[in-house]
Amino acid sequence: MRKTTGDQLFQFFNYAFLIAAAATMLLPLLQLLAVSFSSPVAADSKMVFLFPVEFTTASWSHILQNTGLWKSFGITVYITVAGTFLSMLFSVLTAYPLSHQQFLIRKPIMLGIIITMIFNAPMIPFFLTVRELGMMNSLWSLILPGAIGTFNMIIIRTFFSGIPKELDDSARIDGCNEAGILFRIYLPLSKPVMATVSLFYAVGYWNTFQRAVLFIRDPEKWPLQTKLRAYLTSPEELAAVNLVLGDYDFNTTTLKAATILFATIPIVLVYPYLQKYFVKGSMLGSLKE
Amino acid sequence: MANAQDHLEPGSTRIPIGRFNLMENRYLVNMRKYWMLYVMILPGIIYYLVFKYLPLAGSVIAFQDYQIFKGMLSSSWVGFANFKFIFTYEDFYLVLRNTATIALYQLVFGFPAPIILALLFNEVRLMLAKRVMQSLFYLPHFLSWVVVGGIVFELLSSQGVINMVRGWFGHETILFMQEQQYFRTIVVISGIWKDVGWGTIIYLAAIAGINPSLYEAAVMDGANRWKQTIHITLPTMFPTILVLFLLNIGNFLELGFDQIYNLLTPMTYSVGDIIETYVYRAGVLQGQYSVTTAIGLFQSVIGFMLLWIFNRMARKTEQGLW
Repeated sequence: MRKTTGDQLFQFFNYAFLIAAAATMLLPLLQLLAVSFSSPVAADSKMVFLFPVEFTTASWSHILQNTGLWKSFGITVYITVAGTFLSMLFSVLTAYPLSHQQFLIRKPIMLGIIITMIFNAPMIPFFLTVRELGMMNSLWSLILPGAIGTFNMIIIRTFFSGIPKELDDSARIDGCNEAGILFRIYLPLSKPVMATVSLFYAVGYWNTFQRAVLFIRDPEKWPLQTKLRAYLTSPEELAAVNLVLGDYDFNTTTLKAATILFATIPIVLVYPYLQKYFVKGSMLGSLKE
Repeated sequence: MANAQDHLEPGSTRIPIGRFNLMENRYLVNMRKYWMLYVMILPGIIYYLVFKYLPLAGSVIAFQDYQIFKGMLSSSWVGFANFKFIFTYEDFYLVLRNTATIALYQLVFGFPAPIILALLFNEVRLMLAKRVMQSLFYLPHFLSWVVVGGIVFELLSSQGVINMVRGWFGHETILFMQEQQYFRTIVVISGIWKDVGWGTIIYLAAIAGINPSLYEAAVMDGANRWKQTIHITLPTMFPTILVLFLLNIGNFLELGFDQIYNLLTPMTYSVGDIIETYVYRAGVLQGQYSVTTAIGLFQSVIGFMLLWIFNRMARKTEQGLW
C-alpha cells in the first residue's frame, strides 16, 4: 500500500515525540548520576548536564560509609524478603479456595473482599487499629497491615480458576488432599504468575513509605525510603561533617544525588530482567472477571 | 462405562432425596468434606477483618469525642458535632479546595495521557523500537515517590538542570518548588511522568484484542489511519476507558499521600495541602482523632457518591452504545 505524505509526516513526528518522551524517563536519573560523580563546585554552578564534571567518587564513598543508610537498607531488604514471602503465602492460601466451586461460601467472601476495595477505611481508624494491636515501632507494622494486596490476590485467583479442574480430580484419586493439590499441582503450574505477583509485592515493600511514616517513630527502625526522605529534607545529617570548615570533595547537592540513586539502583538493576513479568502480570489483572 | 455417580463434580455431593432436610446440611457436609479449604482461607479472612473491617467500623469515632485512654467503647458520643465543626473550620475548606482542584487537574490531564500514549504506541510499526520505548516508559512506575520527589526537587532547584537550561537561553533562575503558582502543575506533570507508561498497558491490551479484519474492511472503504483510530480503535477501547474512569472517580479525592507529602513544603501548603496530608498532621501527629476521622469519612462518602452517580450515567451510555 502506498503511504501518503500525511502518513509519513505523522510517522516522523510520532517517532520524534515518543523518542523524546521516552528519553525523559531516563534522563533525570542519568543527570543525577552525573551530579553524584561531579565535584561540589561544578554541581552547584550549573555545569553538570549528562556527564560528570571534575569527576570524583567522594560523594559515593562518603554515603557508602554511612552506617545509618546501610542499616535502613538492611531493614528494607528484610521487610521486602519476609513481607513478600508472607504476602505470597496469605494470597495463595486465600486465592485457592476462592477459585474452587466446592468452596460454597466463596461468593459472599469474594463480595466482602470487593467491598473493601470500594470502601477504604479512613487513615485515622486504620492508624488506631494498628496501634491498638501493639505494632507501633515494630517492623510487623510494615508487613501485616498490607499483607494481602486485593488486586494481587485476584490476579492469582483468576489464574487458578483457569487451571482445569480435572487435574484436581486425578490428584484426589491419587490420594492428594487440598493442600497437596495446591502445593504440588497449582503452584508448579503457575510459576510465571507467582513470579509476577511476587515482584509486585517486592516492589511495594521496597517502596514502603506511608506505613513507615505512620507507624515507625524510632529512626533506628526506619526503612530506606523514610531514611532517604529524612536525609533529603535535612542533608546536613547526611554530610555529618562541617562542610564549611572542612575541605571535602562533596556537598549536600552531590550527596543527595548519590543517596537518591542508592535507593533506586536495586530496582533499576533488576528492572530489565523483570520487566516482561511485570507487563504479563498487569495484563492478567486486566482480564479479571 | 463409568456410572453416573463418577461424573459428578467433586463439590456437588449428592444427598439422597429422602435425607435432604435442611439448608445448612449442604454447608455442613461441604465443610466436613473440604475442611482444608476453610482452614486455608482463615488467615485471609482474619486479615480482612482485622485490617479492613475493623478500621471501617472504627470510623464511628467520627461521631465520638474519642479519648485515647478511654478507647472506642467508652468515649462519649457527640452525634454530628465533629462534622459541624469541620464545616465551620477555615482550614478544612482550604484543604478541600486544594484536594478537589488537584483531583480535577489530574482527571483532565492525567487520565487521558495514557490513552493518548497508547494510541501513539499503536502507530509504531518497528517492534524493537516499540519494546525499547515501552521499557523506558514503564520504569518510573517502580520508583518510590520519595525517590521521584527527590528527583523533582533536584531538577527544579536553583542549581538544577531546568534552571541550567533556562540559563542557556538567558532566563533567570526560578525557585519552582517554593512558588505556589507552580505546585499543582508539578504535581500533575510528575504524576504523568511516573505512571503514564504503566497506564498504557491495559489500553494496549484492549487494542491488541481488536480483530484485524475490522481495519482491513475500513481500508477498503478508504479510511485513513486517523479515521481508523477514531472509528475503530477508540470505540473498542471505550469499555476499558469507562471502567478505569469509574474506578478513578471512586477515588477522586484520594490523591495519594506519598506523592503530595514528598512534593510539599510549608511554602506551598496554601495550594498543595490536601486532605490526606492534613489528616496526617492534625490526626496522627497532633492527636485530633475524631475530627480528622470525620474528614476522612466525608472524603469516602463523596467518593462513593461520585462513583454511584457516574455509574448510573455510564449504565445509560453503555446501553445507548448498543
